[in-house]
Amino acid sequence: MNNIIKFFISLTNNFKAKVGLYILFIFIITSIFAPLIIGSPSDYVGVPLQAPSTEFWFGTNGQGQDVFAQTLHGAQKTLFIAFLSGFLVVLVGAFLGGVAGYFGSRLDDMISLLINVFLLLPGLPLMVILAAWLPPGPLTIIVVLVFTGWAWHARVLRSQVMVFSNQDFVLASKVCGESSFRIIMVEILPRMLPLIASSFIGATIYGIGAQVGLEFLGLGDISQVTWGTNLYWATNDLALLTGSWWTYVPTGISIALVSLSLTLINFGIDELANPRLISERHLSNKLKGDFDRNSVTPVRVEK
Amino acid sequence: MSILNINNLSVEYIGDKSSTQALKNISIDVDENQIVGIVGESGSGKSTLIKSVMRILSAPGLITSGEVIFDNKDILKMSDEEIFDIRWKGISLVKQKALNSLNPVTKIGYQMSLPFRYHMGLSKVDAEQKARDLLDLVNIDLIHFDSYPHELSGGMRQRVIIAMAMALQPKLIIMDEPTTALDVITEHEIIDSIRSLQNKLNFSIIFITHDLNLLLQFADKVCVLYDGELVDYGSVDEIKLGGKHNYTKKLLDSMPKINLLNEKINEKNNNETKILSLENINVKYQLGSWLSPEILHAVNDVSLDLYKGKITSIIGESGSGKSTIAKVITGLEDLESGNILHFDGKKFSDMEHNLAFRKKVQMIFQDPFSALNPIHSVLHHFERPLLRFGMCSKNEIKSKTLELLEMVELTPAEEFLYKFPHEMSGGECQRVCIARALCSNPDLIIADEPTSMLDVSIRSDILNLFIKLKEEFNLSILLITHDIASASICSQDIIVLKKGKIVESGLSENIIKSPKHDYTKNLISASMDDWFKNNCKEK
Repeated sequence: MNNIIKFFISLTNNFKAKVGLYILFIFIITSIFAPLIIGSPSDYVGVPLQAPSTEFWFGTNGQGQDVFAQTLHGAQKTLFIAFLSGFLVVLVGAFLGGVAGYFGSRLDDMISLLINVFLLLPGLPLMVILAAWLPPGPLTIIVVLVFTGWAWHARVLRSQVMVFSNQDFVLASKVCGESSFRIIMVEILPRMLPLIASSFIGATIYGIGAQVGLEFLGLGDISQVTWGTNLYWATNDLALLTGSWWTYVPTGISIALVSLSLTLINFGIDELANPRLISERHLSNKLKGDFDRNSVTPVRVEK
Repeated sequence: MSILNINNLSVEYIGDKSSTQALKNISIDVDENQIVGIVGESGSGKSTLIKSVMRILSAPGLITSGEVIFDNKDILKMSDEEIFDIRWKGISLVKQKALNSLNPVTKIGYQMSLPFRYHMGLSKVDAEQKARDLLDLVNIDLIHFDSYPHELSGGMRQRVIIAMAMALQPKLIIMDEPTTALDVITEHEIIDSIRSLQNKLNFSIIFITHDLNLLLQFADKVCVLYDGELVDYGSVDEIKLGGKHNYTKKLLDSMPKINLLNEKINEKNNNETKILSLENINVKYQLGSWLSPEILHAVNDVSLDLYKGKITSIIGESGSGKSTIAKVITGLEDLESGNILHFDGKKFSDMEHNLAFRKKVQMIFQDPFSALNPIHSVLHHFERPLLRFGMCSKNEIKSKTLELLEMVELTPAEEFLYKFPHEMSGGECQRVCIARALCSNPDLIIADEPTSMLDVSIRSDILNLFIKLKEEFNLSILLITHDIASASICSQDIIVLKKGKIVESGLSENIIKSPKHDYTKNLISASMDDWFKNNCKEK
């Protein structure tokens, strides 16, 4: 736990990560307090397809609902599903990858086979078929995302665990009589925190995109208000033909901003985990940008 | 005439707010046909120095002052293209860990012909002919022209690398710890061949190492670096007499030398209770794919006995199977056949590798930095084994840990409790590892090359600690090492291992004074100071 807090604190010291965290924080706060800020998104509030005005900041949609309310409320379910699916994907991946990498031999062969099968399955068609076959709803989306997404992360984490499991500190723990489970959970996985964190963020970004895509195709629960169903209704109301851009642009920008914030956090993690990037930045700052990593060692004689 | 002239070179590592000075005003002269040795411990700036001279130091390194004159031109004022011309043709580099610098997927001959093709623009056929000549020059059979790197031994690979460095007949070759990964005998062979090549081809060498005694045997001038400063600089004779700086003296004294008469160790120990014995141990590794398996016989029919209150050393070069034996005893490796018989009260077969056995047998690893988990504090490393082995209750962990830390001379112990591995030096980390092994009050400690990753100046301290612990607790220690000198300092029994087989074993006194096997004889004579005088052609 201590490590996670320490990791988070050092992340806030990184400029890129800080910007990303701010954006994400704003989205999460507004989505949590959306019911207090603004009324229900499914109420009929005015004439359909009104352009943005002081009354309705983002205008109204084809059903006469407030687009601003829909964007804020949509964030709630979309982000919740995305983070939860990201968490579960990494959880499944870390467990199977960790077990395969640590124990090796027969068990590794079996889990690797499973990983390879799932990597070979074409993800998108499988996702569409599963989503259409299962009853629509948030749970379905999460199940589909975890089912199609875990294999890649399991493969990445497995190879990293394999590297660590032959190192002396793991052998030393074995000699101290630690159980395998504890070695994996307390000694190995915390060392891979940057990798796990960036896997989680990657899975979350993927979760947002895939989820919105499925719902846009009508495979979600269209009675719920999410960013995906917002876009679904926008096309259903022929938003492009009628030129009512305000029905889809706010949702689109929100998706882009959240993905951007997560990507920025990922950059921050990358710099934390890769000291070389930090040292290149420091040197570049010192030389006021006059630095090329492919060139010879710079000389700066101070008079 | 001087070939390379380093004047007042300073290098800084740029940090976020402050920067660290890695080199402070270094001035060194290298004359024609001269061997200049640079010695210092890890972190002293040796590698930084030669990387700055070649200007391959990567970020955040910044050269902040000085000049490096080579061939009347200042390397520090050159552009990328001019430097490209000098590298390999003027100054070439044999890098650290040279054993890994050959590309494993292309053949030796092809790799050796590359410098001729890229730097001299020769055709493939001509370049390959030149590469053949080179191989011949370093006395490697031409059948290896079409070999892959893994088919050559460590010493041969090192010679290939050195040959490649000489390919374009540079005036200066910089060698960064070229022999560190090799065993003593090969090390001496390599240095011997470097010297005879130097006689033939006339080039200068900057030789970087942490082993001052080695340097004193063949270099012309020696520079001693400490913490980025050139603390001593002079001819070999001057340094031999102790140099100008205290640190040089310390380095000279700290090298373990073969100890023929160690009364402390050779005290008769009448109480010879066997604590552990191995019977006909065999370990095989399966290499290659399952379609074409290759079997490596890592340990071949090894039997040995360990006695209570004695230090026993296993000596052997890398790949001789000495670490495998350690892992077999601690149960980290499975046996192919053979028996481990535990005589200390219980039969081994009853104990297997359960907690009771772990409590009796503990292990110390080679690399102290990787044997401690960098995300955990020192206290955590003690808390787990102490609780696991039921040595004390939760409230006593702290006091017990302090006690253990003091036992290994880490004082004041309170300061170390909450330190993380990266906040300590290598020697301190190794002491923490030793203290951790003592957690369970073991009867036997297996130490796998406990000093080989440490700086020379602290090696003998660690060995003395072993002797002290042995005497205080009547511990048995199995010391695994490649260095016969360290073994002779602290052990009563010596076992010499070669290619998985025991070639010789017995009392350390007998083995060192009258070795029977040729391999042991070679090992001992290679560790003697006057090896070069006796074995090399005069320069």
